[in-house]
Amino acid sequence: MSAYANKRFLVIDDLPLARESLRAIAQSVGAFAVEFASNYQDALYRIRNNTPDVILCDYMLGDGRSGQQLLEELRRFGLLSDDTIFMMVTGEQAYEQVVAAVELVPDDYIIKPFSPDKLLLRLDRISAKKKFFAGYYREKRRQDYAAALAVLARNKEDEAGRPYRFEILRQEAEAHLASGNAGAAEAAYRSILTDYEFPWARAGVARSLHRQNRHVEARAEIEQVVAGTPSYFDAADLKASICMAQGEHAEAQRVLDEVARKTPRNFLRKRLLAEAATLNGDAETARAALADVIANDSMPGAVSPADQLALARSQVAAGDSIAAEKVLLGLRESEVKGFDLALQASYVALLALTSPERGAPRLAGLRPALLDTELPTDTRIDVLRAALAGADAELAERQARSLMAGPEAKKVFALLRKAYTLHGRDADLREIQRQVALERIHHEPTAGAGPAAA
Amino acid sequence: MHRLLDILASGVHDAKNQLFAAESMIATAEKAHGVDLGEARYAIEAAAGRLSRTLTTYRLLRHGASLAVVPTVVADLCEEVLLAQAKQLERAGVRLGLACSVLDEWPLDRDLVGDILNNAVQNAGRHARSRVELSAVLEGGDLVLRVEDDGPGFADPSTAAAGGTGLLVGERLAALHVRRGRSGALLLCNGGRLGGAVFELRLP
Repeated sequence: MSAYANKRFLVIDDLPLARESLRAIAQSVGAFAVEFASNYQDALYRIRNNTPDVILCDYMLGDGRSGQQLLEELRRFGLLSDDTIFMMVTGEQAYEQVVAAVELVPDDYIIKPFSPDKLLLRLDRISAKKKFFAGYYREKRRQDYAAALAVLARNKEDEAGRPYRFEILRQEAEAHLASGNAGAAEAAYRSILTDYEFPWARAGVARSLHRQNRHVEARAEIEQVVAGTPSYFDAADLKASICMAQGEHAEAQRVLDEVARKTPRNFLRKRLLAEAATLNGDAETARAALADVIANDSMPGAVSPADQLALARSQVAAGDSIAAEKVLLGLRESEVKGFDLALQASYVALLALTSPERGAPRLAGLRPALLDTELPTDTRIDVLRAALAGADAELAERQARSLMAGPEAKKVFALLRKAYTLHGRDADLREIQRQVALERIHHEPTAGAGPAAA
Repeated sequence: MHRLLDILASGVHDAKNQLFAAESMIATAEKAHGVDLGEARYAIEAAAGRLSRTLTTYRLLRHGASLAVVPTVVADLCEEVLLAQAKQLERAGVRLGLACSVLDEWPLDRDLVGDILNNAVQNAGRHARSRVELSAVLEGGDLVLRVEDDGPGFADPSTAAAGGTGLLVGERLAALHVRRGRSGALLLCNGGRLGGAVFELRLP
């Protein structure tokens, strides 16, 4: 009896002939239960409801979707268990170029036509590999990164790990990055690069530098990747994020515009585009992108209150208070009560901007908390705008100071200036800027002591 | 220029889907009736391989061709060549041996290198008396993949590469594998361990 007799297979392909062929091959390796999915949504639905053991997914799914996008979405929502085998099936070389470049790869990919024997060989190898990394996956899932790294260190010494030496290094880098140790991740990616110039490893260096707020270096690294592998869209996303951190919002939007056009149904990218457009002052593009996300990102739970707030924010920026108010009031009161402080603050600040009589009293209620709590950047900007509109100079100044002193100062400076200019208070912002700069100089000797002593 | 490549690629893609359908029907029939139709499946795979290779040749011989380099387990790559070719060679009375002493992963274009090795083994099988051997070893920091046979050898190894498309692609493919400033090479000679033709792909 075949080792795959009791396994549940899912075949994903939009073409009936190809689907039938994949099923026949799966059955000839002994698979008893073979299910079909004919499109992206159907595949997501089946995988969510009853995760198969083996997924054979064609790279081209039609309707502007690809198997790679499905894989990314499954990982993003944690819908693939560690034991599930995801095998990409491809008829042409386009996918090989993708898999050679990207960070997120399937367990394997196979080129049509292939014999049942070849499929069996590949499945057996994937199973062996999963078994080898089982201990690591377990710790990673529990987010115990120290333990996960300890397992990898043992794997490295293990003779059985020799066929996986790049995979071990790659996982090591990812675990460092996930645990927040961007410096160690950078070193791990660089050690891969001394062996071979993989685009995903170069992008990993850029990502690690970006996390360390070393944006100029990160930018140089990612430009190299984007130039060398134009089909590596995640690299373009990363480049855009770095550009935003550097305050180069027009370039960020240009890059995202270009890749978003090639991947019209990638809604994470659309959100990023909206962020760049907002920072770039192009409220119309931001609004269109977010409306598309909210209407079409059909993954259950994918559209979050944060998306609704982002849409309202872009409408406020576009000067369309009525539409923004409609979005905000569309959120149920019970839902708003369940928000954390940051989301609540954004909600009431945006409401205060669109409908002062409703929003201002609620903003006043949150005011004490907002004066001395750490808040995310988006929220700070919302609060700052509402405070300026409500002539609450102290609340506005508190937000502006934190933003100017923080790592995202370059990213948000243009927005801050615009907000202050709108209320004719440029002088206030210049004064805040001066004070933050003075404080920075004041703190420099202590900040510089580390490297100097070393 | 890119447009022409897209048209060719899409035609090859469709044809391969059809061939895959044919292969899967044969596999179903084999299972249902307990027969071995391996030869028919082999012919289908060979046709698909030929189509791919034609496209690859066109792609690689243009300017600006790029590889898809992935970490590849060398032993697995060799094993797949064995799986694809051993039975067919056996039918012609030729035994295909495998000797792989490389345990690690190697950065290479898995599918193109696999294709070139399949092609080399097929060629060797046509000229061998009774044996073909595929081997993988590390030599001076290079991965060396060799296909040797016990046939009469190349008439003139120095001009052999100009004769066949497969060899031409092999040369280009080897040259495109660049690592730490060094590039790969394709070498042809006579002699070797089996006394016949030797096809050697060296990858840095």
